[in-house]
Amino acid sequence: MSEALLVQEAGAAPLAAPASGARQFWRRLRAQRAATVAAAVVLLLFLAALAAPLLSALAGQDPDTYHPDLVDSASGGVPIGSFGGIGADHWFGVEPQTGRDLFARVVYGARVSLGVAVAATFLQVVIGVVVGLAAALGNRWVDQVLSRITDINVALPLMVIALGLLAVVPPSFPRPVLIALVIGGINWAGTSKIVRAQALTLKSLDFVSAARLGGRGRWSIARRELLPSLAAPVITYAALLFPVNITVEAALSFLGVGIKPPTPSWGQMLTEADTWYQSAPTYLLLPAGLLFVTVLALTVLGEGVRTALDPRAASRLSIGTGRKQRGERTKERAS
Amino acid sequence: MSQPSVISRRVATNAAVSLALVAGLAACAGPQDNGGGGSGGGSGASGEPQKGGTLTVLNSNPQEDFDPARLYTSGGGNVPSLVFRTLTTRNRENGAAGAEVVPDLATDLGTPSRNATVWTYTLKDGLKYEDGTAITSADIKYGIERSFAAELSGGAPYLRDWLIGGADYQGPYKDKKGLDSIEVPDEKTIVFRLNKPEGEFPYLATQTQTTPVPKAEDKGTKYEEHPVSSGPYKVVSNENDGERLVLERNPHWSAATDEERKAYPDRIDVRSGLDSAVINQRLSASQGVDAAAVTTDTNLGPAELAKVSGDKELAARVGTGHFGYTNYIAFNPKVKPFDDPKVRQAISYAVDRSSVINAAGGSSLAEPATTYLPDQKSFGHTPYDHFPAGETGNAAKARQLLKEAGHPKGLTVTLTHSNDKDFETSPEIATAIQAALKKAGITVELKGLESNDYSDTIHSASKEPGFFLAHWGADWPSGGPFLAPIFDGRQIVKDGANFNTGFLNDASVNKEIDEINKLTDLDAAAQRWGALDKRIGERALTVPLFHPVYKRLVGQDVKNVVISDWTGVLDISQAAVK
Repeated sequence: MSEALLVQEAGAAPLAAPASGARQFWRRLRAQRAATVAAAVVLLLFLAALAAPLLSALAGQDPDTYHPDLVDSASGGVPIGSFGGIGADHWFGVEPQTGRDLFARVVYGARVSLGVAVAATFLQVVIGVVVGLAAALGNRWVDQVLSRITDINVALPLMVIALGLLAVVPPSFPRPVLIALVIGGINWAGTSKIVRAQALTLKSLDFVSAARLGGRGRWSIARRELLPSLAAPVITYAALLFPVNITVEAALSFLGVGIKPPTPSWGQMLTEADTWYQSAPTYLLLPAGLLFVTVLALTVLGEGVRTALDPRAASRLSIGTGRKQRGERTKERAS
Repeated sequence: MSQPSVISRRVATNAAVSLALVAGLAACAGPQDNGGGGSGGGSGASGEPQKGGTLTVLNSNPQEDFDPARLYTSGGGNVPSLVFRTLTTRNRENGAAGAEVVPDLATDLGTPSRNATVWTYTLKDGLKYEDGTAITSADIKYGIERSFAAELSGGAPYLRDWLIGGADYQGPYKDKKGLDSIEVPDEKTIVFRLNKPEGEFPYLATQTQTTPVPKAEDKGTKYEEHPVSSGPYKVVSNENDGERLVLERNPHWSAATDEERKAYPDRIDVRSGLDSAVINQRLSASQGVDAAAVTTDTNLGPAELAKVSGDKELAARVGTGHFGYTNYIAFNPKVKPFDDPKVRQAISYAVDRSSVINAAGGSSLAEPATTYLPDQKSFGHTPYDHFPAGETGNAAKARQLLKEAGHPKGLTVTLTHSNDKDFETSPEIATAIQAALKKAGITVELKGLESNDYSDTIHSASKEPGFFLAHWGADWPSGGPFLAPIFDGRQIVKDGANFNTGFLNDASVNKEIDEINKLTDLDAAAQRWGALDKRIGERALTVPLFHPVYKRLVGQDVKNVVISDWTGVLDISQAAVK
């Protein structure tokens, strides 16, 4: 998904979404079936990642042990058995050449892929909100400087810069942290632009003026009046950034500057698997399929969150309004 | 995947050091086309090979610097050898016989005198260039001299190291007088005067620098666009600096003067710049012109081999070969804890060669190594296994040695490797070693470096890590270019490229190297190299891991696949398409 599109979509979120409360949000989210399923999938993936050591132990495997006896050495190290050596001991089969257990590597890989994406998204949101708010609330000079910095940040080619940075930093620096820092540090401009635009609009609304006339300070206004209203677009944008960050991590690992072996990550597994697509297709399909499912689920969930936070969209779709939905829909179709 | 041939980069202790390094590195990235796979093994179509047709060569690396002065080859190269004849050349036979050196332009392997410091060659009769003019010994002298010019650098450093006055000679453009240590008493004779005994000079004379170059045709750096052919083919077109090279018959080449090159096809069409996966895909599909195609630089990778071995028709078209090459772990005994021989021995015992070999592509693409020298007769291979690890490592013995060395609770060490995806010094090999050493209580942290950084680091006397992956290949199939650069104490280079990574400087080893270099009986020399290797092995400065096996596909119409142990790959001068 292009960044411009993301900004546009998030920008379409309500200006002053009334602080309708978490309960209403959950009700609207739950009312969307696709989003509910997506949320369940995401939850399952996060749980699997958190419980990776437990799950591996349950399977009686670990991600790093070599099993040379499970691959056919004379044929390039292709796994012995059908579907990449899938069986009772190795639920997802074994890795070609090494015989390492793929189930263990996949669940451990989820930790890196999801962990990096969570950290990177968090960073992008924090930097974006701080810069955006400061630009909106600061004087003209501050706004000019911060907005130009944001523009430069938008223009930075993420992959190119990340490749450069990751190649320069000494290998002793923990890779997952570094990758999260790099992605988060480069790709925050979208959030900041949305926050600035929303905050500028909000600033001229009556309730903010009232607060200002009441003698409240800038930070107090930002915290008490602006931030609650900014929550909707920011959460929406974050939900859409998250899957993008997963794919960026995968792409960096695929290009060889991501997670270092033997630590598994889905992107790194994809790299290793790319030559095996003909002789051991399951090896490639596993990380590729998981990435696909994860990114799809997160995107659907992100869309669901956006809808749930947007009262106009929610009412248009008759979501969470408590009215009979069927009749409404028919009417809409008829018109 | 492609395995660009890595030829050993020998560096002497003279002024040529930095130049030689640049030359060696450039050569590795560049155009040579040995290294890669097949020996005596399978072949394409059957039946007697006939003359005619077009042989297509599908390569990843272009034939850059197609100038005999600039090429860094082992035995004269593959495609270059079709155009450039040399004083001697490699025997174009399958297997071990192919590791022998044989005469080419010269009538024999040379006559040594004065303790192998003077070598005299006589040219055959009836040798002609592509324009019909006669090849003279003065042209060979000129060809060698121009390889000393800075603008034509790229070749191996041996001529500069060995010829008297070679270290200071700047090439014929700057120094019209020429190099006095190469004498041409008449049109057929050439004499080389060396600064020390070198019994292996006939091997050196196989390199393209001994190709005759007519002085009148020399266009300096432009000569590579149309070098004057002395071989069976001449250059018809050379596009994009060797990306597309078309060769056709040289009518003045006479098979009567050339016992080595068969030259069956009428035309050779070399197309480079292709992805290695594409090359292997095209060769396996074998459609259209690809049916008469070969590659001189792309091997089958593990995944491709897995696919090929399941298909009988494809498996029959795979050539298998062995190039003299060793992948190993190297130690720097100046770095703790590797100063302690017991630690080095413990690691030698702990290594699991079966998982290392699987990581390198499995038993069809790698064979376990316990000796530093490749397991071939021409190297003088003498079997030894000083620290027997068995197939999967001896963790108990390793633990015991660590305890004796004062590390009862194990060790944590850093293994430096390259990030190249070459299945040689790459992350897969490093992780396999990491997993094996864990069983012996050694925690290995991996440090991957980018290609150039890796090469600079391991060859720098000051920056060299204590524990790293390395490999070495032969400039020619003998123990000399394998052992001397790595273990001769006088070749330790403080500033610049150092290949003696174990900093071994043992008077008795140095003396034995000098003694062997005096031998002109190559078989006798080989035996002594083998014995020396066994002796050096006791010091555990390296842990030999595996010797690669090269496997390459040929198109279905390709006949007469000959794979020598010298190059380990199909010899293009023997291939036929009819």
